Formats: sequence, structure tokens, C-alpha cells
Amino acid sequence: MKYQKPTINRVDFALASKYGSPLKSQKIKSSIDGVSVNELTKEFGSPLFVFSQKDIENKYNELYEAFSSRYPEVQFWWSYKTNYLDAICQVFHNLGSKAEVVSEFEYEKARRLGIEGKDIIFNGPYKPKEALKKAALEGAKIHIDHLYEINDLEDIADEIGKEIPVAIRCNMDTGIYPQWSRFGFNIDNGEAYNAIKRIYEGKKLILTGLHSHIGTFMLNSNAYAQEVKKLILLKNQVQEEFGYNIEYIDIGGGFASKNRLKGVYQAPEVIVPSADEYAEAITNAIFEFNKGNLPKLYLETGRALIDEAGYLLSSVFASKRMPDGKKSYIIDAGVNLLYTSFWYNFEILLDKRYEGINEPSQINGPLCMNIDIIAENIMLPPLDRQSVLTIWPAGAYSVTQAMQFIRYKPRIVLIDKNSKAHLIKDADDLEYIVEKEVVPQELKS
Amino acid sequence: MQKINFILKAYYSILFFRDCKAGILLIALSFILPSVGFLGAVAILTTVAFAELIGIRDAYLKHGFYLYNSLLVGMGVGYYFQITAATIFLTAILAVLTFLLSFTLNRVFLKYYVPILSLPFAFVGMIFYLASLKYTNLLSNILYRKPLFDISLPFEPFFKSLGEIFFLPYNIAGLFIAILLFLYSRILFLMAILGFIVGVWVHTVFVPFNEAYYSPYNFNFILIAMSLGGFFLIANIRNYAIALISVVLSAVLIDSMEVFLNTYSLPVYTMPFNIITILILFLTVAIGYKYYNYYPKGTPEQSLSAFLARNYRFGGESIKINLPFTGTWSVYQAFEGEWTHKGAWKFAYDFVVKKDGKSYKNEGHFLEDYYAFGKDIVAPVNGYVTALRADLPDNFIGNVDRANNWGNYIIIQSDYGYFVEISHLMQESITVNVGDYVQVGQIIGKCGNSGYSPQPHIHIQVQKYAPLGSETIPFTFVDYIQGKRLFYYKLPKVNEEIKASAIDKSIKLHLTFILDDKFKYVDQNGKSYEITVKMNDIGEFYFSDGKNRLYFYLDSKLFYFYNYEGGESYLKELFKIAPKIPLIGVEVEYEDVLPIELRYGKFKTAVMEFLTTFNYKLYNKKSTYRKSRLELKSKYGTAGFSFYEKGFSYIKGKGFELRIES
Repeated sequence: MKYQKPTINRVDFALASKYGSPLKSQKIKSSIDGVSVNELTKEFGSPLFVFSQKDIENKYNELYEAFSSRYPEVQFWWSYKTNYLDAICQVFHNLGSKAEVVSEFEYEKARRLGIEGKDIIFNGPYKPKEALKKAALEGAKIHIDHLYEINDLEDIADEIGKEIPVAIRCNMDTGIYPQWSRFGFNIDNGEAYNAIKRIYEGKKLILTGLHSHIGTFMLNSNAYAQEVKKLILLKNQVQEEFGYNIEYIDIGGGFASKNRLKGVYQAPEVIVPSADEYAEAITNAIFEFNKGNLPKLYLETGRALIDEAGYLLSSVFASKRMPDGKKSYIIDAGVNLLYTSFWYNFEILLDKRYEGINEPSQINGPLCMNIDIIAENIMLPPLDRQSVLTIWPAGAYSVTQAMQFIRYKPRIVLIDKNSKAHLIKDADDLEYIVEKEVVPQELKS
Repeated sequence: MQKINFILKAYYSILFFRDCKAGILLIALSFILPSVGFLGAVAILTTVAFAELIGIRDAYLKHGFYLYNSLLVGMGVGYYFQITAATIFLTAILAVLTFLLSFTLNRVFLKYYVPILSLPFAFVGMIFYLASLKYTNLLSNILYRKPLFDISLPFEPFFKSLGEIFFLPYNIAGLFIAILLFLYSRILFLMAILGFIVGVWVHTVFVPFNEAYYSPYNFNFILIAMSLGGFFLIANIRNYAIALISVVLSAVLIDSMEVFLNTYSLPVYTMPFNIITILILFLTVAIGYKYYNYYPKGTPEQSLSAFLARNYRFGGESIKINLPFTGTWSVYQAFEGEWTHKGAWKFAYDFVVKKDGKSYKNEGHFLEDYYAFGKDIVAPVNGYVTALRADLPDNFIGNVDRANNWGNYIIIQSDYGYFVEISHLMQESITVNVGDYVQVGQIIGKCGNSGYSPQPHIHIQVQKYAPLGSETIPFTFVDYIQGKRLFYYKLPKVNEEIKASAIDKSIKLHLTFILDDKFKYVDQNGKSYEITVKMNDIGEFYFSDGKNRLYFYLDSKLFYFYNYEGGESYLKELFKIAPKIPLIGVEVEYEDVLPIELRYGKFKTAVMEFLTTFNYKLYNKKSTYRKSRLELKSKYGTAGFSFYEKGFSYIKGKGFELRIES
């Protein structure tokens, strides 16, 4: 064992922490799908985002089967904003997922991947008129967010000379806090009903679906039961009153992943509902309240499908001891890549077993910014320079929200089902970053 | 009609039948000796009149023996005396007495679930005999009585014995009854012959052949063999043996009774049959004999068919519980497992979740590394929660809690009475309370690692009694999926990976048929065919096409057909095409066994039914069914559903195709 400067630690009298034995206190992950993390960083550099195709497919199949085994017509729509890397989208499309986009950029990206308009749900509060028109012409499923959009769409209907099938986005009280009431029309105060009446009286749009998204990281499956109940009751009502044939209800996304929210004491295994629990609550509510034909069930699950399939590998660059005695590690990935670390406590896994006892440590990123902290309080054994840490789960939002700030964005690889690593996005370089920059001529004196 | 029916019932019940036509034929037969036919009828009518007077119609409607005992007494009188005002009066008196005795005896016997058979008749017969010794004014025709006509046959004593059952000891009556037996039930026919042969043969060991062969009490052999070999016990080799052993026992009993009773001028009648049969039934009922005919049907063949269907199609009488989880799990320990499923606790199952052959990811040093940890636990039965504990911590890996072996647990009393116990739940994860009613599939907690648990897993067992740690009893799982195959009422082996089936309620909607629902189909020739949902008087639902009936049942996880009445029809084909429809949305393949009468034509059915009694495996011919979301396929054809509509949207079979009229 290497010499370590002595430290003073609080003695933990409990035999074990809530879930761990004091005898085995190092969390170790030396490989992903059979590929060594050290080899991955050696081959592709560090830091490195790694996605596991196997994890994605297993998770998708688990969730899809939880719903499809209980309900006859289920369709998943891949939420592009969660992770719109081409390769990742392609994996989902190959699995049978269609596309859910919230901007013209995402719409174009889906079309570029060969997804037809009819297989795209166009959501979001900001849909420029040109984008709307294109979506309407291509038969995309447009989910209306506000009354202005109804006007815009009616103009477009006049322009293209045909009725446009639409859905509206609804919000409601499902007994959870915070209530997402920014998007769509409120069901509880009759706003949604009025919007549908408005659509009906306009005679240019035809309502075919109802959509809602109650929030994110929902830890209570009952909230979905409430959501579905309200959507279905609205569906029954508008079918009866306006004679609409509501083909589908879209219950959005928001299923939690196994990430550990800051401020939540319990482990994800304890509080995160299973796929079956979500599915049981949702399908039961449909069967309980639906009148007339069963609607198709659409889901826009993002986070729960991809979060646990993504890993961020990072290497220890340096360590120091801070004045309060805490060990501080500097690693090569920071909040520039993990914006999500502001609300998650990630699992930090070691590449191998290290000798020595655990001590309170802090993991800092490479940015010259005081806020660049990945883990503020973590018990770690003494790590070496170049030790590889696996930060998990890092599949959702991390790539789409990663910033090119101070440092280049790193490479991204996908490990296929035969344990072969494929580069799916190369690292930035200077040329790529300055490509769109223009320096006015007069400055170049 | 109903009244005629219960009068007929008195006649056909004597031969263990349940068919009105047989009753009519037997009434007609009884008039071959007019005094027997007439006084028999008098006895029945008097009994009915008396029962109506007291107002207990239901009692004699339900139980044939209230009437057939009187009938036998009436026939007995008719056998000895001619029809006169006095004999009619005597018959009426004895009939009411028989009825009273039947009622009382039945009350006593009912306690032990044993039938009274013709015991009241045997007693009243003695009373009649003794009393008539004094009635010298009554004209006995015993010396001159002759049937209206008769024939001569070989093996006369056999046919006469058959006839004696109805006080008609004539060849013609015997032949008639023999033909009736053969037509209705080959099993009864065989037992009648075997009973006679074995009885007479045993008797010859002790008395000269002629005495045995021509004994007037040989009909007791026939009755014992028929009642035990097919009617009260399910027909099979074992019960044939029991029936014939009983016949052997009765040979000695008959002789002893003959000697004793005749000393006092008393008749033996059916007393030996009653004593022997009741002794056997008392034993079989008391020990819960597996092959006792708990649900008698029209004929022994039908009882056997229903018995085999229960066993081969619906898991028999075993306790059936659902899996306590959702998704895919592996068997860690099965019954009589190598580590802890021993002794009083040998009937238990342990499950873990495995991926790539391991139950954990990473190094497996932490609870959250284990795939099972935190997975939902669902109620395996409908019932009340009777006990639970939720405060024990989950052991870290490498430690077990020996003081609280069972860990956090939940005990549910099933609606059927037994208790299901599930162990090692996660601390404070139980979502129900003691006294709550839970339903199959409801989430009740999470898998944890409390108690004597080296790694997160589910332990499940069934107990007869409520306390924690009670002795376990065997059970099977209602169903589970392995790969694409769906198994019913089976137990998975150690290390096998099985998946719990989730219910797709939309399929249930397709198959929830309500009285008077009508489905109009058009066949391949453009002819229309209508199916209507109806209910019979004992609450069974069936499809009717006007002539034929197809009985169905909708369980919480399964829709199935279980009985068919009628000739060749599309409904019969539908039974073959879709005998069981699991309410499961995912694609599965499963096996089912069709009842023999559906598989073969009339003649071959009769032969196969008979052969099956010697080897049940002949029944167990499985057909494979493949169900996708909206279609059910097999070698018999295809049944399809539509996403939106109730019922079958099309039925395709050999040479026909029905499509629903929209």
C-alpha cells in the first residue's frame, strides 16, 4: 500500500449504512457491457459519454411490454429533447418508437432520419407559423398549446385548403406539486373544453387526440391515474357533444429513472415506481372511465428509457487536501457536461478496488468556476491520478444540454449488443467551434 | 312438465341415469306386469300428494331418492298382490311411510355426505312383508303372475336379475334394461355384467353352482358394481376393482342375511347392496378420496369426462395461486429446496431476478445492485390481509437476520380459506393494512432483503392455518409464461426463468358476454348464423344458435368453454377453435385438451370414453393454440377479434368461415 497522509475521520458506530455493508464500501464498475472502462478511455479519450444499446433495448422492451401486455394499442414516441443524437434516435426508431419533437429544429432532425410527418408528434409552446405549415402539410400530429396556435392553424387550413387534424394539450391538477399549468389548456376550469368548442366552431380543424404531460420525474403513479381519468372524461364529453372521434390520448412522459434527486433521502429502488406500476395505474384508469371505442395510448417517455443506459467516464486529473481536511479530486468532466448535476446526486463508480479507507471527498470538474462540483460529499478511498470514474445514470438530457464552455465537448460512443464500441459523435475541435464565427473586416487591421 | 319430470326421475334414478326418455321407457316397461306398474305409479302419486300437502316440493324435486324409494315399495306390493282397492290403499300407506323414513334417514346421512340409496325401501319392505302375513284377505298372485309377454334367452339368470331390480324378473325386462344400460353407458353395462359374474363366481366357492347361479339376490351384485364402478366413484380401473371387491364382500353378507331374515319371514331385497355401498361411500367421503364423484353428471361417461376436464384442463382440485410478482423472475428454490425449504416448510417457492445469469449488477456488494431489490410484489390471491410486519431493516449483503427469519411479511387469507404468506419484503414498503381486501395483481409491497435472506428475493408459501410459520401445503401457479409458452397449473423447476402474465382488460371487454347479446354472422355460402347469449336454470351461461348450446365461463384471467350440448354445428367447431382464451395481450402459445366427445364422431367417442376408463392418458391429447393480440390459431382453425367490437369478429374452421355482419 502506498503511503497516504494521515487523516481524521468520524467513527461510524452503525454496523452498516442504510444499504451498504461497511466491509464492502466501494462501488465498482470496471466495464460496461463487457468493455473495460479503462480501455474505453484509452481508445476514445476522456471524458467520454458511453451509451449501451443493450440497456436501451432492455429498458424499452420492459416499458413497452408493461403497457402493451395490458393495453391493445400502445405507441411510444421518442422524446427528441431527451437525447437527439442520430444514433440514439435510430436505436429507438428501430425498436418501433416514433418521434416527438418540440421545435422546428427537432422536426427537421427527425425528418432527416427518414421519419415521415405522420409519425411525428409536434409539441411545444413555440411553433413558428412556417414550421406549423410544413408539419400540417406533411400530416404531423400537431398538439396545440394555446389559442393563438388555433388561429395560426386555421389560417394555414385556409391556405392549404383542407381540414387539419389536431390534438390539444391539456393541463390539470393531478394532486402533485408543482402542478405544470404553463402548457396547454386547463381541464379543471373548463379552458380545455372551451378550446375544443372553439376548434369545433371554427370548422377548419378536426380534433383527433388529447394530450397532457403532467410533469417530470413523477414518483407517484396515482398522478397518472388522475391524469388519464380527466383526459378520458373529457374525451367522453367531446365525443358525445361534438361527435368527434378521439383516436388517441397522449399521456406525455415524466416517468422517473433510477437517478437520485437531491433532497430525496430514500434510494431510487425504494421510491421509483416500476414500469408495471405506472402501466397498471394508467390502463386501469382507461378501462374504468372510457365510454365508446377505446382510444390508442401514446406515450412520450424519454428519461426513463435512456437515463440508465448512459454513462459518463471521467478520469482523475489531480487531487488535493482542502483546509477542512476534505479530499478534493479534480476530474476532466464538469457541469459543462453534466448540467443535470445541479439536481441529481449521481452514482460515482470506481474502475477497480482501491486500498485504503474511505474518507470524505469532493469531486470537482475541470472548469475554472467555483460552481463546478459533481459530488460535494462522497466517501471515497484514496484514488490515483488517471483513475477512471463512471458517473451514472447520465443518459437523459446530459448530451442535449451539455455546453461547449471552456472545454471542447467530448466524444460519444455506443456499445452494441456484441460489446463493440462505435463512435457516434466525435469531439469538438477548434475548427468546428469557430466554423460559424465571423470577424468583421474592420477588426482585422 | 316439471312434475312429470320428477315422476320420471324416480324411475331413471334407480338405474343411475339422468334422462327423461329413459324414465318414460322404464314406466312403460313396468306395466309388463300391470300390478307392478300400476301400484308403483300409485306409490309415487301418493308420495307427491303427501309432500305437496306438507309443502316441501323442493325437497323431493331435488332428490330422486324421496320418490324412488316409494316407487320401489309400490312395485314390491304389486309384485305380490293384484290390484284391488285394499292393495292400492296399502300401497298408499306404505308410500307415505317410506317418504317419512327417507326424509329422516336423509337428514341423518346428510351429515356424513352419504346417500341413503334404497335403504328406506329395504326397511319398509320388511314392514310390508311382516304385516302382509296377517292380511289373508289380500289376493296374492305370486304363483300365477305372468308378464304380458316374455321371450327366452341364454344366460337367463343375468337378465332376470336385471329385471328384479324393478320387480320384473323376466327375460324381456332384463333384456330391455340391458339394452338401455348399453345405450346410455357402456361403463354401467360392463359393471352390470362383471358384477354378476364375479358375484356368482365367488358364491360358487361356498355353495353349489346352480344355487349361486340362480340365486334371486344376484341383482345386489349388479347394483353394487354399477353404483361403485361408475356412479358414485369415477370410472377407472382402481374403482372397478373397488366395486368388484365390494361385490365379493356382499356374497357372504347376502347369504347371512338370507338365513337370518328368512327365519323371520323377512325379505333380503336390496339390503346387502345398501350396506356394502354405504360402507364404501362412508370411507371414501371421509378420507376425501380423490376419485369420488363429487359432481355427478348424467352418465358415468359424462362424470368421467367432467372429472378429466377438471384435471387435465383446469388443474384439478389443487390450490392455485397467481405469481406474486410482475415481469420475469427466476426460481431460486422450489418445493423441497436444498437450503431452507425443508420439513414443515417444504412447500414454498423463492424467486430472484437474473440478467445474464446473475442476480446482481456490478460486484453485487450493495442491495441496489440486486435486480430484485425494490421490484413490486403483487397479491397472488383475492382475500383479506390477516397479518403483516414491515419494520425490519433490509440486511446488507453478507448478513442475515436469524432472530426474525421471515423478515417483513404479509399473510393473506384467500377467499377459498387457505393462507398465503410472502416474506423478506423491503422495510416499510407494504402498502396495505391488516383487514384490507386485496385483489390478484394489486401491488402490496416491494421485494426486500429482511429476515433470513442472503440476497433480495421473494419467498411465497401456502398454509392451512393463519399463524406465521405454520405448516405449508402444496399448491400450483395458475399460469406463467416461459419464452413464448404459456403454462397452466404447473410448477416451474429450480433456475427456470418465468414471466408473470399481465391481464389485458381489453380482451376481457371482448369476452364479457351479457344475456341476450346477439352476434350475427355470415358463413361462406352467404347464409346467416346467429349466436345468442343465454342462461340456464342453474345460472350457467351459454351461446345458443337455436338448437345447440356451448357453455362458457369468464374467469379473472381466462375465458373458456367447458361444455357442449347438441350435434354438429359451428358452435361445436368454436369450442375446438377456442377452448381457452387467456386474457393476455402478448403473443403466447399454450396447450389445451379437448373433451373426447368433441374430438371424435359418436361411435368412436363411445369407444374412446370406454377405453379411457382403463387409461386416463388416452384423454390427455393436447392441442397447441397460438394467441396473438387479436387472433387465436390452432389446427382446428382461427378465431379473430377486432380492436373495437365485442365478441369474435370471425371464426374460420375446416371448410367454413363465419364473418360478423357489420
